Amino acid sequence: MFMNSNLFEPGKSKPERNFVQLAVKQNQRFDGRRSNDCRDVVLTFGADWGTVAVSLGDTKVLTHVTCDLGAPTTSRPNEGKLQLNVNLGGVAFLDEVQTTHDQRSLTLNSLLERTFRSSRCVDLESLCVAAEQHVWCIRVDINVLNHDGNLYDASTIATLAALMHFRRPDVTFADDELRIYTEKEREFIPLLFLHYPVSVTYCIYKSSGQPIVDPTLLEENAADSVIVLSFNSYQELCTLNAGGTAPTNVRTIMQCARNAATRAKAIVDFIRKALSMDEERRLQGSRLIQGLVGLIGETAHKLSFRKLMGQQNQELQAPINEKMEVDNKPIAKPEVEEVKTKEESSKQETDIPMDSSSWLPQDEDSQELPTPSEASSSKAGKGKQNRSKSKGTKKKLPKKQDHSDSEEEAKQVI
Amino acid sequence: MNLPAKVDVEKDKLRQMHCEFNPLSRCDGSVMYSQGATVVIAAVLGPIEVKTQNLSIDGSYLECNYRPKAGLPQVKERIREAAVRDVLELALLAEAHPRSKMSVQIQELEDRGSIDACAVNSACLAMLIGGLPLKSSFAAVHCIINEQGDYILDPDQSETLHQRASFTFAFDSVEGNLLLVQTKGAFKIAQFNDIECLCRAASADIFQFYRSQIAKYHGRSEAIAEKKKDESSSMET
Repeated sequence: MFMNSNLFEPGKSKPERNFVQLAVKQNQRFDGRRSNDCRDVVLTFGADWGTVAVSLGDTKVLTHVTCDLGAPTTSRPNEGKLQLNVNLGGVAFLDEVQTTHDQRSLTLNSLLERTFRSSRCVDLESLCVAAEQHVWCIRVDINVLNHDGNLYDASTIATLAALMHFRRPDVTFADDELRIYTEKEREFIPLLFLHYPVSVTYCIYKSSGQPIVDPTLLEENAADSVIVLSFNSYQELCTLNAGGTAPTNVRTIMQCARNAATRAKAIVDFIRKALSMDEERRLQGSRLIQGLVGLIGETAHKLSFRKLMGQQNQELQAPINEKMEVDNKPIAKPEVEEVKTKEESSKQETDIPMDSSSWLPQDEDSQELPTPSEASSSKAGKGKQNRSKSKGTKKKLPKKQDHSDSEEEAKQVI
Repeated sequence: MNLPAKVDVEKDKLRQMHCEFNPLSRCDGSVMYSQGATVVIAAVLGPIEVKTQNLSIDGSYLECNYRPKAGLPQVKERIREAAVRDVLELALLAEAHPRSKMSVQIQELEDRGSIDACAVNSACLAMLIGGLPLKSSFAAVHCIINEQGDYILDPDQSETLHQRASFTFAFDSVEGNLLLVQTKGAFKIAQFNDIECLCRAASADIFQFYRSQIAKYHGRSEAIAEKKKDESSSMET
């Protein structure tokens, strides 16, 4: 009589799966996007510092950052705390359908933890007021309002935007006495960042070699594997989450990673631009701050990715397309240029001929790949910087350094 | 924080109301509702399967959850949730769907005063747009007595900092019965009666807002809705 729980989840039934698989095979998507098109990202800032609503198509996430003073952990007495809370229930009706300890909530939580906490994007040492006594505890509440696929990207964008938007009150500690200043007394202080990570999600199907970016719920549920890559604005990899059953070519993952790095950079630029617009509005006067009322209807308070990044996006789009085509050949053009510049700088120390073939497979069989590529990559890696990364990301190591070295001066990230 | 205060609105008027229907895709009906700078989002799902422990053979079970913007619901939020549930239980036509559950979820987006009233109003709009059976629609109005002894209808958060007493009334649309009274602070019975009248008058504005918004959503112009209303009122008299 009543609705089956599967009915709430598009893409779980067999006909739907077949439909999506077939569509992907023909390079078609249900909403008319191309495989490398993302949905529009819309940011709305609340009246309070650290309140941001993000919508990615129909996926909507509200993030709120709060802070209070607390005691630090004994293992890290001079660092503040960053706490991430994901809330999937409520208006999104996600807990309704499934058991409480849901796979989805666990993956989302761990992704956010790794993207923001393990990558140490917020400078926690700056949040220390008095070592071993008082530190700021930053708490991020991520409320999922609506789930229409790609919660990962929506939540990471929302979390990053909220953390960047957030300001904490100034505080002084003298004679064992804490004094917190109000906004009128002293201006609030924004958080300090070491880097800005954002995730990009890809879906891979057995029926087609072409991964699709920014999946909807239908596509996500029907996918054979979902790959989530977190890149920061320096195009360094922060998190790689690969699961599922589709056998995936290394080249496909590399292609995803390269596009994800570009996309992540564009998103961070967009967030920066949106923040500066919000600040301008705040400076103009309090009457202009509309807060989240701006969510209702079509208002100027919604800051859309397409609108803000209109020109830049088009410029970006071109190289992305180019890359996608070029990727089918063993050596990608932009990489070669970067490699050249790097070679000049590192000629003396390494005699290893730097070519992208060391990490980009030239043959179809990727089975043989790991051993030679790892060996050469570790050699090349030692020449530059001694950076040990998590095991899952070995294949990406050389490429990451290519990017970070040629980009803005790379910050050392643990 | 500089707040957009209730400067341009008189003390005996409601702040401006806005709403957007069905912003969410996974529920039967949802509404984003704002009064002034206070914004809430409400979603309904029903009738759906019910757990055996809550199953009732002579009416549907009502589940009502209120979620704050940050953190888990505390006592304050639980009280608000209970208030909304009480009003909904009175207005819901539970007999229509026995052995089932109606789920109402309310998420606070921004609290700038009168959040109790906003939660109730958004729940009503969500029920209406979701097509869940109601005996009547309902509206809640918040009013305070400030330090000077003035009545302020639908106050902004900045105005509630110094208040003597605060009231929340909910009325149904058919007979204008009181569905909910919440009071806090010290006041005289005459003041209570005054404020009840004030809130009752203001609730008419909210019902008018419901009517025009739903007419607009279903593709009718406001003029037709007005006309219908005139007709129905002339028929009553």
